[in-house]
Amino acid sequence: MQTIRLKLKEEVMSGNARIPVEVDSLTPDKLVGKNEAEIKAVKVWWGNKEENTGELFDVRVEGEAGSAEEVKIVMEGDLSRVKHIGDGMKAGEIEAIGDVDMHCGAMMTGGKITVKGNADCWAGREMKGGELIIEGDAGANLCAMYRGEITGMTGGKVTVGGDAGECVGQYMAGGEILIKGNAELLAGLNMHGGKITIEGDAVMPGADMTSGEITVKGKVQDMMPSFKFAEAATIEGEEYKKYIGDLAMTEKKAKGVLYVK
Amino acid sequence: MAEGELLIKNGVVYDPINGVNGEKKDICIRDGKVVESVKNPKVIDAGGRVVMPGGVDIHSHIAGGKVNSGRLFRPEDGRRGLEAKTKVCRMQSGYSVPNTFATGYRYAKMGYTFVMEAAMPPLAARHTHEEIVDIPILDNAALPLIDNNWMTLDYVKSGDIDLLTAYIAWIIKATKGYGVKIVNPGGTEAWAWGKNCDLNDTVPYFDVTPAEIVKSLGEANEKFEMPHSIHVHTNMLGHPGNFGVTMATYDLVKGIKPSKDRQVLHATHTQFHSYGGTNWGDFESKADAIADYVNKNEHVTIDIGSIILGDTTTMTADGPMEYSLYQITGRKWTNHDVELETGSGITPFLYSGKSPVNTIQWAIGQELALLVKDPWKVALTTDHPNAGPFIGYPILISMLMSKKRREESAADMHSAIYDRAALPSIDREYDLYEIAIITRGMTAKALGLHEHGKGHLGVGADGDVAIYDMSPEERDAGKIQKAFLNTKYTIKGGEVVVKDGEVVATPAGKTYFVTPECDDTLTEEMLKKLKDKFEHYYSVTFNNYPVQDAYVPNPYEIKAPMRG
Amino acid sequence: MEITDVVCALCGCVCDDLVVEVEDNEVKKVKKGACSVGKSKLMGHGRIKSPAIRENGSLKECSYDDAIKKAAGILAAARRPLLYGWSSTVCEADKVGIELAEEIGAVIDNTASVCHGPSVLAIQDVGLPSCTLGEVKNRADLVIYWGANPTDAHANHMKRYSYISKGYWTAEGKKDKKLIVVDVRETKTAKVADVFIRIEQGKDFLVFSALRALLLGYEDVVPEEVGGVSKKDLLETVRLMKEAKFGITFFGMGVTQSTGRHNNIVNAIQMTRAAHTHTKFSIMPMRGHYNVNGFNQVCTWETGYPFSVDLSRGYAWYNPGETSSTDLLVRRECDAALFIATDPGAHFPGESIRHLSKIPVIQIDPFANPTTEFADVVIPAAISGVESEGSVYRMDNIPIRLRKVVDTEYLPDEEILEKILEEVRAIREKEGE
Repeated sequence: MQTIRLKLKEEVMSGNARIPVEVDSLTPDKLVGKNEAEIKAVKVWWGNKEENTGELFDVRVEGEAGSAEEVKIVMEGDLSRVKHIGDGMKAGEIEAIGDVDMHCGAMMTGGKITVKGNADCWAGREMKGGELIIEGDAGANLCAMYRGEITGMTGGKVTVGGDAGECVGQYMAGGEILIKGNAELLAGLNMHGGKITIEGDAVMPGADMTSGEITVKGKVQDMMPSFKFAEAATIEGEEYKKYIGDLAMTEKKAKGVLYVK
Repeated sequence: MAEGELLIKNGVVYDPINGVNGEKKDICIRDGKVVESVKNPKVIDAGGRVVMPGGVDIHSHIAGGKVNSGRLFRPEDGRRGLEAKTKVCRMQSGYSVPNTFATGYRYAKMGYTFVMEAAMPPLAARHTHEEIVDIPILDNAALPLIDNNWMTLDYVKSGDIDLLTAYIAWIIKATKGYGVKIVNPGGTEAWAWGKNCDLNDTVPYFDVTPAEIVKSLGEANEKFEMPHSIHVHTNMLGHPGNFGVTMATYDLVKGIKPSKDRQVLHATHTQFHSYGGTNWGDFESKADAIADYVNKNEHVTIDIGSIILGDTTTMTADGPMEYSLYQITGRKWTNHDVELETGSGITPFLYSGKSPVNTIQWAIGQELALLVKDPWKVALTTDHPNAGPFIGYPILISMLMSKKRREESAADMHSAIYDRAALPSIDREYDLYEIAIITRGMTAKALGLHEHGKGHLGVGADGDVAIYDMSPEERDAGKIQKAFLNTKYTIKGGEVVVKDGEVVATPAGKTYFVTPECDDTLTEEMLKKLKDKFEHYYSVTFNNYPVQDAYVPNPYEIKAPMRG
Repeated sequence: MEITDVVCALCGCVCDDLVVEVEDNEVKKVKKGACSVGKSKLMGHGRIKSPAIRENGSLKECSYDDAIKKAAGILAAARRPLLYGWSSTVCEADKVGIELAEEIGAVIDNTASVCHGPSVLAIQDVGLPSCTLGEVKNRADLVIYWGANPTDAHANHMKRYSYISKGYWTAEGKKDKKLIVVDVRETKTAKVADVFIRIEQGKDFLVFSALRALLLGYEDVVPEEVGGVSKKDLLETVRLMKEAKFGITFFGMGVTQSTGRHNNIVNAIQMTRAAHTHTKFSIMPMRGHYNVNGFNQVCTWETGYPFSVDLSRGYAWYNPGETSSTDLLVRRECDAALFIATDPGAHFPGESIRHLSKIPVIQIDPFANPTTEFADVVIPAAISGVESEGSVYRMDNIPIRLRKVVDTEYLPDEEILEKILEEVRAIREKEGE
């Protein structure tokens, strides 16, 4: 097992401007086999210039790894402007201690990311596999698609300990999302596969969905006027109402299932 | 044009307009033009490679309102082709709807030096020109849409061919356009009410048929010495069973005598118009019927509009057809009807080898090229991006040259190709001379550009040369495809613009446009009616309508006097 | 001297039939064509008299050259510069701006990101079934304004293009037409409508979905009241839509900037598509500034994306919400900013202004405005459409060329930007980059 510790230097975020550092080149599969000096020389974008990782981070490597699966990256410091943590990750583990910036876990296909804090928008964007755990809140567009695409998340598992912003899982085609807190507007928008569970409240869930399943355990504000009540259902001993929708997509396409209390 | 002298030696030259068929030949260029000999040139040793005149694309949607709407609404297409700026090149984006810079660079890397923007809505002609100016390297022109214009419809109804002639002269001049483009005649005006028209239906309120429109415009076009014939996207595009309408349209202008030595009608993206069957279930290829017609007649040329498998963006002035496509796929759909003139529709589409329909469509385009005997009647296109992006041309070239490649590809596609298409049974393979014809010789001639230095390498021609990194003996389809994608050299106006597959220079291209010279009396009478339309129905003023000179900073004017 | 066919450079209507009287190189009178707001723009008002650089808190006048050098120095040194505005200048200037942004690795963005950006996002989701304004003038017998109040914001709109206008099949003007206004309060436009539908704040999304369900024939599913609108009123609206020969919905900030934002527009467009299964129906955003659309057009064909384009890596990364100006500024990401033909001082959230006060800011504009109060370099420009000509795109994508009617000593935006770009390149070359 190898642990790569990356601590963002304080001076990076101490200026008038808090310019994001983009770390898509720092995933376990991209760093495996590199020694400390080599890791320090990996380029990362900081605004419009590429810098050496060692210029922006204190780097410490412990142990060795034969494959990406054995690599764990621990990121510390002020990560609130560190974007693309675990973007495209294939294997291994990343632990981020603190709040992280946008696109955390975007397009990941395997491995595990744990955020010990909040994650900004687009966490898990277009995720294909692996596991993403956000202990705090998630910003808008969790596991959503990129603008213009008709498919977002296709696989993997995401757990949010706190609340989630607008448009959770937009254009979701597969995979699983669990929100332990509340979800803002339009969770499951355009969903066509996969499963979203919201333990708290939701607003206008399931709009334009054509397949997939959403369960809201808390309260629903502004239920969609184009959903059809199907039947009563019991899930884990609790009573739910099962709705089919979204008929605004035409009845033929409306194969989405929404369970509300 | 570059100053100085350039000598390309040791190339094996294919210059069909001058009958040069694989000759080892020097090409001499001075001050941007091909000359007999040079004294102190910079020398490029082509090392036995294939040399052709710069490519001439007769039909591609590269600039203007609907192209940009295509880009705007497909950010996901944008991110498929992102390339950072370099010292020489601006940033690039896109795959089926590349940005203007990528368009220029990628065409130039394929050895093309001239591209015709296929459809320019006159009211938005400024937009087409503004974008064209941002396309590096390529010389260019644009075809204004004239067939659903209210002036045209009125004159067709009244039978005033002379006044129609005055109108087409005016509109081609006002838009700095190249000729007469016809797209779903009558049908796009009907679409402004949500309807469509077949060839002999009456256009709502205007009381003319598409057939009458085509015939009248065909006649009017030949009143001038226009370099190009009418350029026609026939009615019922994309509908099973439409091949009859296609041939009936060709028949309409059979008796018209062209004003120059060329076709009377250029039929575009003919693949989409060669459909048999009655619905998508019994859909089949009728390329053989169309090819047979073209073989037997001299007045029609075609470009194939052949499919490239994969995701692309469809966009045409055939508004109703785009709506039907959106209704089938449910994908995003943009529509833009243009007052008094035309319309457009745009929707993404995925051509899949798993689909029986797409597989047959894929076969049809190639069948047309292989079954029409005379390559001087055929142009290679994908109706970019409708049947596929232009970056797929090398794939098509390799298909036409290699039966083996066609067989291998068909084996990976739907089995419908074996009983509802003819492609698997065709043995013919194109040679390099024929490829040169359908990608530069024929296209330059059909456009009348061979008289203006394009499409050939005879003395006086533009110094536009493509050197492909392959020997004439190469038979491997994969290697042929690779060679035609990135040239060893592309030379434009005597300047090296691409070397070893990389863009090294980005000179600005010229915009070619035609000035038909019409009789003053006719023009005056036509203007009375036209100004009335501006007064009451257009939403811009008559004086603000024509394209100002500022939009065409590198003009090349071709005068078209009235026929003697 | 009378000049005709003058093009108004104010709002997205881009009226082009203005008649203007010019004497002694000054616009003396706008004789016809312009609404009162357009007229006042053409007549001119408080300009910035000279280029200036801020020293010790106050602006000190200087030459164009000095201001341009200072601006170039700021931009060349920045790690995350923002170039914002663009909507009230011409396309020729936009092109130079994009080239400059590409050269310095900046984010380039226009006012769409605080205005109709949501409409663009919606188009990227579902497309836009639309047409030119002349189509509306000639064919529309049902006009809907949803979350838009043209009487105030686009004063000539109904007269030239939609409700009061007369066209080929609408020769009787409003006699042949029905006007529906949907808004949260009874606006001036609502007062002249045939039908006014008052909708609850933030409920547009629900109402669009309900209308879609009704248009598709699922009457039973829709509840008795949606978003403050009775089912009866919804059914009546659907009836009017189905019976129209040509319907058009114009929409504005009421839907783009309220709860749901771009998803409201997605839903409005989907409603249009549902209506289109019955009859011809189109939809159009009421673009605010006269060339906000023009920037989106140029930016799209040059970068691949319409606004909020991050060129840090030398190619375009587009992600509104991340690369949009107010987000960048509120998050304090930028270390330099250039504002051209816009006024963030007046329109941006307080937090972003606080950040702007800490970083170098360059302003290019003919007129002084709240941004001038904190800009570090101020460069006065010629007034487009009066003192300089150029290309603009109307709200319906029609390109029109602004005319120049008087001469000026002020430099046009395009020229100022070209000089800045040249200077930036010189700085780069010296630094050996």
